Amino acid sequence: MTASAQHTTIWAVGGGKGGTGKSFLSSSMASCLALQGKRTILLDADLGGANLHNFFGLIRPRCSLTDFFEKKRPLQDLLAHTGVANLQLITGSLGSLESESINYAQKQKLFRHIRALEADHILIDLGGGTHLTTLDTFLLADKMVVVTVPEITAIENMYQFIKSVYYRKLKAIFKAYDLTGLVQDIWKDRTTHNIRSLKDLITHLRSGSGHISDIFEREMAGFVVQLILNEVRSSKDILTGENLKHVCVNFLGLRVQYVGPVSYDPAVQKNINDKQPFMLFNRLSPVVKEVRQVTDNIVNDTPFTVPEELLDGRI
Amino acid sequence: MEESNQYFELMELSPEASLDQIRRRYRYLKTLYAGDSIEISALHDDFSQELLADYLDRLDRAFEKLNALREKNKAVAATVVRNEPDPELQGWIAQIDCFDGAALRAVRERLAVDLQAIFTVTRIQPRFLEDIEAEIFGSFPAEVYLRSYLIEYSRFLGLESQRVLKDYLPRYREWIASHRGGGGS
Repeated sequence: MTASAQHTTIWAVGGGKGGTGKSFLSSSMASCLALQGKRTILLDADLGGANLHNFFGLIRPRCSLTDFFEKKRPLQDLLAHTGVANLQLITGSLGSLESESINYAQKQKLFRHIRALEADHILIDLGGGTHLTTLDTFLLADKMVVVTVPEITAIENMYQFIKSVYYRKLKAIFKAYDLTGLVQDIWKDRTTHNIRSLKDLITHLRSGSGHISDIFEREMAGFVVQLILNEVRSSKDILTGENLKHVCVNFLGLRVQYVGPVSYDPAVQKNINDKQPFMLFNRLSPVVKEVRQVTDNIVNDTPFTVPEELLDGRI
Repeated sequence: MEESNQYFELMELSPEASLDQIRRRYRYLKTLYAGDSIEISALHDDFSQELLADYLDRLDRAFEKLNALREKNKAVAATVVRNEPDPELQGWIAQIDCFDGAALRAVRERLAVDLQAIFTVTRIQPRFLEDIEAEIFGSFPAEVYLRSYLIEYSRFLGLESQRVLKDYLPRYREWIASHRGGGGS
């Protein structure tokens, strides 16, 4: 991915399941970056279920992505102040019935406009699900962040999400190199090739030709998913993030970096309901420190270090 | 590329990992895949007993190989350290007039020890040893670290550490002085 001239870092926060805290974490990480003096833009791309404005006490935003799609207003004009210095917000589509059916041209235009925004960091909050627009927006990012919670349903959806993203990325690569159809054909004949998983598929593709292997090497070098484990209630939960990382590497063939756990704290919900920006109003919750740590880890591309006692099963 | 690298890759460890780290990671992965945790059961189609057995096989083999490799390195390093001084070697070392990075490398190569073996004894990361030999001074933000590495390293090579420090450190200081002029980074 090429960095734009002004060195904007694009983040996308997804994860498949709704209610895992994607919006809370996007808005908190964005506040965290803004408080560090970085010019930050938060973009609510939850098409159909936009609600990020609530996190800043903005009750009825004057303009939203709907104006971009329907009234052809430039994205730049939709920036709204959040009340946090350096942080601006672009609200998602509100009340638009057709929000899930953005066409190809609209999507490309949106991506062009996102890349042209002037900021140090742009954080895109994605909705749940594995809709193609969601996957493509996720792939647009330099920092691909996934949020999940230690519950089996959320983990299932997270696996599904990152697999879909990966498959989408593969298809884009093969399309770009004029190898369209190959991935799908091989997948169709997977039993004959003894392909039992997505990981096997990749191994099969790479072993088949040096040319394809080279393409793959080059294109996938920066493909790392940053994992945040939210609503952690025990030390055992902290380990879940580490376990997920290893499972993804070993059984999906995907590189995942565990950037940290964020504790469950009822104060978070209270702040949200009171429409107060969490990072500004809460001084006591451990979540504040954890969000800062997670944000720094993503910026610096460093993993969270799981305590040795946990890895050894001593706790 | 060394054969051992694929084993390190499988265990998701860097090639600099210590024996202790290898053993801990092995135990951790075995425990992770022995149970029926939510992390695994949520995988559904991407996980089966067959895939697991295949993975565990490769894990066991990797662990065995790396374990053996580390033990061997330890043994090699131990013999080097214990070796009686060889008069011919001592004569050769005596001719070296300046112990710079290249000289240290020459001595090490003459002793036929690799950086990994030195690491097992001295616990100095191979990349730092490499940087000492290549005189990449930027890797050492403070002289105190470089100093302790040099002492350990020269001891390992059977050199007089004070002599090595006397030759090597001025080269480092000169470099630092010329790079810190504008405030440095």
